[in-house]
Amino acid sequence: MPPKDETPEKPERFSVSRRDFLKTAGVGSLATAVTAATAVEVEAQAGPRVVGPGDVPVSLMVNGKKIDLKIEPRVTLLDALRMRADLTGNKRVCDRGTCGACTMIIDGRTAYSCSTLAIEVQGKQIRTVDGLATSAGLHPVQQAFCDKDALMCGFCTPGFVVASVALLEKHPTPTPEQAHRLLDGNICRCGTFTRIMEAVTTAKVVTRG
Amino acid sequence: MANRNREQGGRGQAAPAVTSKYAPWPEKTSVMNTHVKRLDGPDKVAGRAKYSYDINRPGMIYGKIVRSPYPHARIVSIDTSAAEKAPGVKATLSWKEAGAQVMYQGDPVAAVAADTEERANDAARLVRVRYEPLPHLTTVEQAMAADAPAVFPGGNTKQANTDETGDLDAGFKAAAHVVEQTYSTHVITHVCLETHGCVCEWEGDKLTAWVSTQAVHGTKDGFATGLKIPASNVRVITQYMGGGFGSKFGPDAQGLICAKLAQQAKLPVKLMLDRKEEHLDTGNRPSATAHIRAGVDANGMLTAFDGQSWGTGGAGAGSNFPLPYIYQFPNRRRTHKDVYINAGQQRAMRAPGHPQGCFLTEILMDELADQVKMDPVAFRIQNAPPDRPNAKWRAYLPEAARLFGWDKRHPTGDASPGPVKTGFGCSVHQWGGGGRGTQAHVDIANDGSVVVKCGTQDLGTGTRTVVAIVAAETLGLPVSAVKPEIGDTQYPFSGGSGGSTQTASVSPAIRNAAGAALDQLFEKVAPTLGVQPADLVAENARIHVKGNASKGVSWKDACKLLGTQPISADGKWEDGLSSTGTSGVQFTEVTVDIETGIVRVKRILTMQDCGLVVDRLTAESQVYGGIVGSLNFALYEDRILDRNTGQMVNPNMEFYLLAGMSDIPQIDVHLVDSPEQRARGVIGIGEPPTVSTSAAIANAVRNATGVTIRSLPLHPHRILQALEQQKAGGTL
Repeated sequence: MPPKDETPEKPERFSVSRRDFLKTAGVGSLATAVTAATAVEVEAQAGPRVVGPGDVPVSLMVNGKKIDLKIEPRVTLLDALRMRADLTGNKRVCDRGTCGACTMIIDGRTAYSCSTLAIEVQGKQIRTVDGLATSAGLHPVQQAFCDKDALMCGFCTPGFVVASVALLEKHPTPTPEQAHRLLDGNICRCGTFTRIMEAVTTAKVVTRG
Repeated sequence: MANRNREQGGRGQAAPAVTSKYAPWPEKTSVMNTHVKRLDGPDKVAGRAKYSYDINRPGMIYGKIVRSPYPHARIVSIDTSAAEKAPGVKATLSWKEAGAQVMYQGDPVAAVAADTEERANDAARLVRVRYEPLPHLTTVEQAMAADAPAVFPGGNTKQANTDETGDLDAGFKAAAHVVEQTYSTHVITHVCLETHGCVCEWEGDKLTAWVSTQAVHGTKDGFATGLKIPASNVRVITQYMGGGFGSKFGPDAQGLICAKLAQQAKLPVKLMLDRKEEHLDTGNRPSATAHIRAGVDANGMLTAFDGQSWGTGGAGAGSNFPLPYIYQFPNRRRTHKDVYINAGQQRAMRAPGHPQGCFLTEILMDELADQVKMDPVAFRIQNAPPDRPNAKWRAYLPEAARLFGWDKRHPTGDASPGPVKTGFGCSVHQWGGGGRGTQAHVDIANDGSVVVKCGTQDLGTGTRTVVAIVAAETLGLPVSAVKPEIGDTQYPFSGGSGGSTQTASVSPAIRNAAGAALDQLFEKVAPTLGVQPADLVAENARIHVKGNASKGVSWKDACKLLGTQPISADGKWEDGLSSTGTSGVQFTEVTVDIETGIVRVKRILTMQDCGLVVDRLTAESQVYGGIVGSLNFALYEDRILDRNTGQMVNPNMEFYLLAGMSDIPQIDVHLVDSPEQRARGVIGIGEPPTVSTSAAIANAVRNATGVTIRSLPLHPHRILQALEQQKAGGTL
């Protein structure tokens, strides 16, 4: 899997241990997950508080707006927004952190939202493709994608747009190597890569958002 | 498969009679053949475009299919009782009955629907299916073995008729050199980024389905047949869809299951496949292998071709492909055998058959050229069919070679020091394309607005934009003045987006509908100018007298004359505005690291025609895309089945490899624009560019390393294996 960023800092989204992840995701105990219909909170004997497996309140700050949801802890950020908040701009494609169609910017860093639990990014600033255009029009990166025909079917496009915005906020005039590296976490099946590079290298300067 | 029979069009048939009143296209177009930005680009980049996957209906629940884990088994029993009691479950069904057989891993067996997708997945795991495993066949070798178990009714293989032309013995007698080798290509899957699936919603006995499909009308018929309901009770909507590549022509099992679940639950159901299901059960490109014996005379002219081929399209599906490809073998014989294995069935995949036939033939061509010590380009030119408007290899090869710098190609085997070797390769291809029955409707209102309706769909090729461009060209308006409405079976019939026929089918229908509408407007305007309707033209958003631009009215003022009687006109595809047959050539430069086996493509140059280009911007995108698809076929993609268990071991996107940004070479697209091509009308470009890149890459690898690798994919370990075998005196 290619890196989503140049500097492999310890990603914040894995701040819980794998054991805790399994508990909260409900996949460690299938029987519990499918029989418990109501929210339960169990205080583990040692270690952090365990929530779920039923619906729990989750509050997300998406594109500058607060979204309150009642979801199971195992729900990913992508699914929470797509299926519970009708924010369908970012797409679900591989659903396991490979293709980048779900790319969002969380506290300034790109992340695969299909592999990020919604419950873990409460309190963080989440930016999706849906929030890039304003009443004044498309984001300059979005405009450049249109101008260069850097899209065909358009299903990878939201992820590429978000990754490109993150790239240009970090490197306003990226070298080809920087652009390649920061876009290598995204896959386009229609084969628009050449024109995505044209769009990224001609997009009007982006101010840090 | 839906478009398999159209692939061989365009080998120089006589031109059909012109029947369109609005043919030919203008010699000088104002909108067509220019770079027009995709009309739905802003909605797609902003995330506003609603794909089937994005449709969220009030009260909607989620469907999940239970699939066979076995490649071959008999179903003993299906028990959905536990699933029915699971939280949130609203519907369950058995898709197959006890006693039926499953023929591949992923064969659908049962389904559930629940209020959330997570709960639907949980409930699907509670469906208890008991299987009696049966013997299975995973590889072609297993299926062809003399002692193979009888898995498929009628046999595990099916021999096609022998195709023979000329005198094979005389051909081989005339040969100064004979090459005899086995060549092969592998199975790949479509990997549509939007998986197959739909949202189904019933209102009484009427079904509305938002389907990810490249054929709204065909899918409507599929629902009607599959559900045994009148076609008039089905509406299919596809405003946007995330890739099809030939695999999305009908509702499929998942569509019918979704509709049945929705009927049972009395709620809208969304059922989109997950990535694993997409790999297993939505089609693939069949494998192809051929044992070929071919002769060439001392002057480098081909004399004979004798090929026995076989391939697998999975569980009971065909695998035939054109062979030999394009070149003129005066004496030839070819037999083909379909081999069935317990894996998902093939479907048409972007230029079905051609990438296989092209690869198998083009590697052979370089080997034959070496036998007579000829340059591969010169060898191809003298053995290609004669030049025709739809067969331009003899013209394109030298021109593209010059642009590419082919004269810098070194003899096979890069003799320079160091582990990184460089090589050049080339390949040629063809495709049919062309138009067929499509209907369209144009409305012009008294405020000047224009709406064009056509029941086609845009699978990413730019069809929505094409519809607007053709109407704008015909009406003398800017593209922005036309509102295209597509992707809905409530609009007039158009066929599936397959066989590179869509643009050539839609454009003439729009041309005729818009032409008919304009004639009506001319009838209104002519009396006010004191002229005959036939004296008028529409251009630059004005209607004026031919040759006298000042004697006329603006489009807006002309439309005001309509009063309360808006214009409503129909048109259909007719001969005279489209034709069939495209040709192209491709050149590649690669590096091969002979220590790691890693192939990097540095440059690709293509010269490609497609008649009159409707939108150069989106047509060029199609060429880029086709090339990248073929690069993936050559270097990365591979459906890997475990030969013992019949399980796909890479049903995902991290072990099923696809190119990323760093893998993309410099690509130079030369989309031919000539009076000869423009005069042919609209043809279609979706498939031809994806045919020959993989062969050109393999020939470049051969030129770099001096080793002939006769099978795909060119994965590093296979390159290293071939280099080892060369050291040992053989080749792979």
